[in-house]
Amino acid sequence: MHIKLNRREWLAASAGAAVLAGCKAAGPLTAPAEPPRVSIVRVPAYDQSLYGAMRRIIEGHALNVRGRNVVLKPNLVEFERATCINTHPMLVHAAYEAFLAAGAASVRIAEGPGHRRNTLDLADAAGYFQTIPKFEDVFVDLNLDDVSRVRPRDRFSRISKLYLPNTVLGADLLVSMPKMKTHHLVGATVSMKNLFGTVPGGIYGWPKNALHWAGINESIADLHAIYPRKFAIVDAIVGMEGNGPIQGVPKNVGVVVSGRDPLAVDATCCRIMRIDPFRIGYLGMAAADIAQIAEQGIQQTGESITSVATPFELIPLFKTLRMA
Amino acid sequence: MRTGDAGAPVLLRQSGSTMSIDALIAKQNRDGGWPYVRGASWTEPTVYAIMAILPAGETVSARRGLDWLASTARPDGGWPPRAEVDESSWVTGLVALLDPQHLGEARHKRAIDWLLETTGEETTRVFRLREFLLGNSTPMSDPRYPAWPWLPGTAAWVGPTSVAILALEKQFRRHPSPEIRHRIDAGRHFLLDRACDEGGWNHGAPCPLGYPAPPYPETTGLALAALQGVRAPQVERGLNAAQQFLAECRSADALNWLRFGLRVHGRLPAGYCTPLEVTYRTIPETSMDLLMTAAEQGTDTFWG
Repeated sequence: MHIKLNRREWLAASAGAAVLAGCKAAGPLTAPAEPPRVSIVRVPAYDQSLYGAMRRIIEGHALNVRGRNVVLKPNLVEFERATCINTHPMLVHAAYEAFLAAGAASVRIAEGPGHRRNTLDLADAAGYFQTIPKFEDVFVDLNLDDVSRVRPRDRFSRISKLYLPNTVLGADLLVSMPKMKTHHLVGATVSMKNLFGTVPGGIYGWPKNALHWAGINESIADLHAIYPRKFAIVDAIVGMEGNGPIQGVPKNVGVVVSGRDPLAVDATCCRIMRIDPFRIGYLGMAAADIAQIAEQGIQQTGESITSVATPFELIPLFKTLRMA
Repeated sequence: MRTGDAGAPVLLRQSGSTMSIDALIAKQNRDGGWPYVRGASWTEPTVYAIMAILPAGETVSARRGLDWLASTARPDGGWPPRAEVDESSWVTGLVALLDPQHLGEARHKRAIDWLLETTGEETTRVFRLREFLLGNSTPMSDPRYPAWPWLPGTAAWVGPTSVAILALEKQFRRHPSPEIRHRIDAGRHFLLDRACDEGGWNHGAPCPLGYPAPPYPETTGLALAALQGVRAPQVERGLNAAQQFLAECRSADALNWLRFGLRVHGRLPAGYCTPLEVTYRTIPETSMDLLMTAAEQGTDTFWG
């Protein structure tokens, strides 16, 4: 029961950044028995080196996917090829090949964009058809997939039920593959916010406004709790700063961030963007314990945060999220 | 070429779609409905498929589709997006586009009533009172112009509002009423309010947080269709944007709606043919292409 109380404290705390900061400073942080591991791997560009890097990432995290069904969930938002809105197709293809090489029984790529209905046209414009052979055979439009009714386990939001795609619910491993971006409503969007794309537009519309009305932070926390077997691979080779997640500008970071614990991965990404993860509402809500997103509670491998951190430009509304 | 119900010739193969009426029928599920691509039946593709095959005289298949729709109607008069979803949604507007004699007069009337009773949550009295009590003085939307949401209890958007207007406009032509006229006019006002600065429409957020956002081709075509007969600078800018999209866009879904939107304003280029490289992947894309092609040739069963 203490976990629920902890979350309630977080819910209350998320009302104000100052309160959150106070929480962080006030109580001793209980480190989990095995701290979550997050790797930061330097990948300077979208080129062939990505394929080797991705294999090493999966090996490094000792992911046993032999005989398992893996679903890769990139972030596809808008049509414009020349921008940094969408997860780069080469990163997704590299992960696709790496998981197959690791013995996965099947690897599918699945996404349900939030604004545009013509998902495959969007994927085409984003370069997915060009980069990934037989893309249409391995892709599932989550907006139109068959669904099952799920009751959120923790009820952070007022949503009592969600219809979610069977492709994702049936996956042995759901790999969230977002772009590292600022977000004009919740501050930062990384692997957990990317789960919005698993909510089918065919049921909830374009945009998936029911999630907004239920509270965006709360809905993200709900979705995080619904999917138990996740891995996160964040495209931070080129991210987006400013008025993200659509109208921002490219930001070179040159890394891929990954790990089994999306909370720890997203908190690390925030620190790389020089955003205080304790001030991101959904991270606090979803964390059973503050230690999950505290830097000292995360086992960092590869590059250090300080060696790759680069401040992402924030819109005025979110200037208060900047790390001290 | 096939012969329609009334014996009139119906051209089927002049469309850009590679899927024939026969193939469309072959995609029908055993329960009578249609999937988007494959899998279980959904309301949206079922409505479009029924509309596309009815003029070809495929009455057995269409009847099975209509029976599926009858079986999925909800007690409140609306339709869910899929049979197992226990809530009526925007697809009720699509169902209401069907001819009452096909859907059933009583069922059709209940669908129209559902549309008349449904508004975006942001313009409801309860929400506005709550916002007032919370001290939120800036309205999300002008309460004088209620429009339609994807799902009740959420805000109004361009897509569901356009579909609802089309359904109500069709009904108004059959049975004029002040109530229907009021909702059509209010919905159109909402659409004009949500036009993008550069012309056209996106999903319904033309300027989020004060940053102008670009239009989408598919919603531009859809909104223009719903604004048939409306003279306004937003419509003119939207038509210009639509013509540019028509020349550049290769999305089957978007092109269908652009053709519709431009045609109802008399601005579809004469003899327009969809580019050969356009791929029709879903039942709605294929069905709408067949419907638009037939309409461009003088048999408009979609808009009547």
